Amino acid sequence: MSRGKPTILTCGKVVLLAVFFLFAVTPLYWIIITSLKESKEIYTFPLLYFPAHPSLESYRKLFGFAKFWIYFRNSLLLAALAATAALFICLISGYGLSRYPLRKSKKVILLGLYFTQMVPGFLVMVPLFTMLAQLHLTDNLVALGAVYAMSIAFGTIMAMSFFDRIPPSLEEAALIDGCSTLQALFRVVLPVTLPGIVAIFSFEFVGFWNELFLAVMFLSAESNLTVPVALNSFISKAGVSWDVMSAGIVTSLLPTLIVFGFGQKFIVAGLTEGSVKG
Amino acid sequence: MTKRNRVFVWMLLPALVLLSLRIYLPVAQGFLLAFRQYNVLNLSDTSFNGLANFRAVVLDANVSFLRILLNTFFWVAGSLVLQFLLGFTLALLLRQPFRGRGLYASCVFYAWALSGFAIGLVWAWLFNGQFGLVNDVLLRLGIIRHQIGFLSNPRFAMMSVIVANVWYGIPFFAIMLLAALQSVPRELYESAEVEGAGKARQFFSITIPYVLPTIVSTTLLRTMWIMNFPDIIYGMTDGGPVNSTTTLSIQMINKVFQEYDYGQGAAIGVIIMVILFSYAFFYLSVASKSEVRL
Repeated sequence: MSRGKPTILTCGKVVLLAVFFLFAVTPLYWIIITSLKESKEIYTFPLLYFPAHPSLESYRKLFGFAKFWIYFRNSLLLAALAATAALFICLISGYGLSRYPLRKSKKVILLGLYFTQMVPGFLVMVPLFTMLAQLHLTDNLVALGAVYAMSIAFGTIMAMSFFDRIPPSLEEAALIDGCSTLQALFRVVLPVTLPGIVAIFSFEFVGFWNELFLAVMFLSAESNLTVPVALNSFISKAGVSWDVMSAGIVTSLLPTLIVFGFGQKFIVAGLTEGSVKG
Repeated sequence: MTKRNRVFVWMLLPALVLLSLRIYLPVAQGFLLAFRQYNVLNLSDTSFNGLANFRAVVLDANVSFLRILLNTFFWVAGSLVLQFLLGFTLALLLRQPFRGRGLYASCVFYAWALSGFAIGLVWAWLFNGQFGLVNDVLLRLGIIRHQIGFLSNPRFAMMSVIVANVWYGIPFFAIMLLAALQSVPRELYESAEVEGAGKARQFFSITIPYVLPTIVSTTLLRTMWIMNFPDIIYGMTDGGPVNSTTTLSIQMINKVFQEYDYGQGAAIGVIIMVILFSYAFFYLSVASKSEVRL
């Protein structure tokens, strides 16, 4: 390669990378900075790009008020338990689908799984709500968790593509040694699919933690609310201003940011495995 | 079927039962609901009413249905095109390894994990007409003289929600396309180099054809998601001002959450599904033809 040209190209690349970086990071920086400002500073003009007196006052207000820590605990338990349950189901069905012997019906099942991605959430929400209302299971965190845990279509596809890459000879050896199929799955196959497990769990956790509309519709008792529902109610309540709001937003973003930080490598692999194939 | 094969069928059963309860059965009920009178404020009469819900939605006196369709088109097309172009650019930039690439990727990909609703709130704050960062930066750079009410002015509201959605969606395309780019065999470029093909030529005759299947499947999936994804608009404007950001999915939320009219809400859901089905059908038939030509 010649020397002159690549440097111009590299400069252009670096500039572009810097622009993407700024665009990506600024909103997060800004909401964090806002949450660390005193409420007076939030509403001063020209804006302060860094708080003159950083303080955790907004967070103190947030957690002192409106039982925010209860919402946080609700969300955390709900997302973690539902994601664990969903993961379990996805692994079993994904494995079954990967080793499924009949080509034609496998195609139909796959189409059925992709179909669920096309359905508007709201069309499904109302019938689900009436179904649960008949069973007297509305405003019930366990029931909502069960509904979340049933959202397994994409996770199943992801699990399937992870299992597709593991040669069946691996579990056949275990079967010859006298394991049952399920034993072979849990003792031999799963340990080598750890990245896939992390990816599916993170994917489900993020989805459930962030879910807003089902929760708004299903939950009403103050002690049952989740973080997104609480944020939603902040909007309509007069008197909640951007200091508490920004602290609430940052708190709501933290858990999924942490999950993403830990699982990023696997999530990226999982997402690409899961949907490029279809 | 051998005994062992039967086990795999059994393993699929729980998932299929759960998905039937979670999606298939409710979708069927949702379709029926669309043809019924069903307002939670008046449940004494829930009889079938033919196409009355659809008529009510299309002839809504508060907001013209054509306006909603146009808004939906701008929202989906604008978001999709920009997400794709910027995501593809980012993927191309990340293709060659450089020092700190992993960390850099975390910093530009993290938006994927965030809640759409919270993102909507964050961008509502960034676009705030008085104390928003966007106004402040534009003023300091001398691009504007007076603050703009991005979310209170119907001229700017749609553009603003699209910017937020583009920000949210770039990581998805970048992640998917990066994976596809990395699977292009290097030998193809080497032999093209030998034959004297320039960079641009290589891009259009090797890179693009190779990642085309990924482009087709990601843009299709993303179209469906954006169409069914009201969270960001809900967090920023909730359809306002003067319905300038009311899309089909926002209108559906409002029918359910504000008017408690589940019948009309379901009717909009059916309209969305019909649009998406015809779109997917049309898109896939065109896409498979063009792939054959390449």
